[in-house]
Amino acid sequence: MSRAERVADLAEAAALVRDGMTVGLSGFSYQNPPMAIVRAIIRRGVKNLTIVSGPTSGIETDLLIGAGCARRLVSAGVAFERVAGIAPAFRRAAERDEITVWECDECIWHLALKAAAWGVPGVLWRGGVGTSLPELNPDLREVTEDGRRYLRVPPVQPDIVFLHAAEADAYGNARAAREAYLGRSFSEKALALACRGPVVATVERIVPNHEVVESPERTLVRGALVVETPWGAHPGGANGRYAPDLEHYREYAAAGEDRRRGDPVPYQRYLERHVYGTEAHEDYIRTIGVERLDGLRTARP
Amino acid sequence: MSVARRQRGAEAAARVGGRRTDDRLSVAQLLACVVARELRDGEIVAFGLHAEILLAAALLAQRLHAPNLTIRHGLRVERGAEIGPAAWTAERSSRSHELVEYLEAHDAVLDVANPSSPMRFCDVFLVGGLQIDREGSTNLIGIKSQDGRLAVRGPGSIGTTSIGTLARHVILFSGEHTTRRFVERVDYVSVPGWKRRAAAGLEGGPDLCVTPLGVMDFDDGSMRLRSVHPHTTVDEVRRRTGFTLRAGPVPVTPPPTPPERAALEVVDPFGRLAGVDLWPDGGRQ
Repeated sequence: MSRAERVADLAEAAALVRDGMTVGLSGFSYQNPPMAIVRAIIRRGVKNLTIVSGPTSGIETDLLIGAGCARRLVSAGVAFERVAGIAPAFRRAAERDEITVWECDECIWHLALKAAAWGVPGVLWRGGVGTSLPELNPDLREVTEDGRRYLRVPPVQPDIVFLHAAEADAYGNARAAREAYLGRSFSEKALALACRGPVVATVERIVPNHEVVESPERTLVRGALVVETPWGAHPGGANGRYAPDLEHYREYAAAGEDRRRGDPVPYQRYLERHVYGTEAHEDYIRTIGVERLDGLRTARP
Repeated sequence: MSVARRQRGAEAAARVGGRRTDDRLSVAQLLACVVARELRDGEIVAFGLHAEILLAAALLAQRLHAPNLTIRHGLRVERGAEIGPAAWTAERSSRSHELVEYLEAHDAVLDVANPSSPMRFCDVFLVGGLQIDREGSTNLIGIKSQDGRLAVRGPGSIGTTSIGTLARHVILFSGEHTTRRFVERVDYVSVPGWKRRAAAGLEGGPDLCVTPLGVMDFDDGSMRLRSVHPHTTVDEVRRRTGFTLRAGPVPVTPPPTPPERAALEVVDPFGRLAGVDLWPDGGRQ
């Protein structure tokens, strides 16, 4: 018998998501959001998702909220750095009471995933006492132990996790690019370790297993279902491969801001052009243009 | 940065004080010096993404009096940034993926609670907020309307809550000084100030608050004006603060010294600090 490959296409992977699931999404700010799968999930029209993204998240989360797929959010923040201090669809939905936010900070977000990974009912943490977090998030209970006050952080367990990485082999070993000094990868590991169900890695390319064996220290996650998806993080950046497309972020943020202020047309147009109108990921690539994408590459030749 | 935006910025800076004069660059340089003077040799200083003035301050401190200061910076990751990569030397001036040359280590996790380890998260945390109040609490969660409903959903507390609670020293920094930013009581608390900390059994509180108008410290848990910047007045600072600022005789913030000026030339050779972090009258939002 030969070793089983763990490779799927984007539609198969997106079909794993059903209404009401808790979905973990990788990324940190502009880096490594699994955008191709996010667009595929939106096209399936799933509803009432709980999104676990971050520690601080970005456009992958905002787009799912903006498209009406998410009901609940577990993240320490949603923002696009200098492009938008507050992500527009997140802001609109929160202000209209259309989503519930599991209020936390980055450390608490991480601890909730650790608690799920460790299989413990909670972790005591000193950060967050004396703040609004326990009042806004009833899951964070204040407790006193040995005369000191703590927040009790319960586990958060995704049903499924999607991450984007530079490479993987066909057996589900997803790994960082050699050049990926700038990328923080702890969210990928934390989400995968906490996950109840499948972990799906979209990757820039599938590489032979012997390359993975040559540098095991680069492997972030093993046992993933692998989907080869070049430019799968766009408009986000992919660590060691390409930079975020800030012009695209600005266009998205402006459309989101128009909608928040009462004009839904530009945001609807964005969704039509980049999400609903691109049945396959290759169609999306065409809407952006190969020349523009090439200009975003960061890897040294 | 667009020319229009730069002009708006220059106008905003000109409005900072009663006197005409100061451009954004000199205000930004002064703030970098003010923060640098607070950083001690051997400390670890942490701040968020895209905080160019704070990065410049840390680099200045390293050159001037703190060669063993460790900088823990949320790295900028985009290439072809819309705002120039301030505070980096000429060799690192253009493509941000080359900034990795400056990294000595890359911590992968958010372990922030042990202050003794040589790998501890930080000693000094520089933090801001949508709102900052009299006792130094910050808020990134949201702003309420008069009737108590959520009027503005903020980005979220990001990394500020736990680090701001557990760091040995907290310095508040705001590129804006308005009654909207500086309020009597924050609507939500991301990082607790002096009284909220005491009520929660935590010692201490923020050391300082630095803005484009002045430097505040804390007396008995309440913000107090420590110095006003040369381009403004005590009256102006008070008018633009949403609570009564305690102040005795207030000295003028010392301008950059010749050694500080020389170090600024090295840290920010292209004067790019002018374009960042600084919206004294809140013009951006």
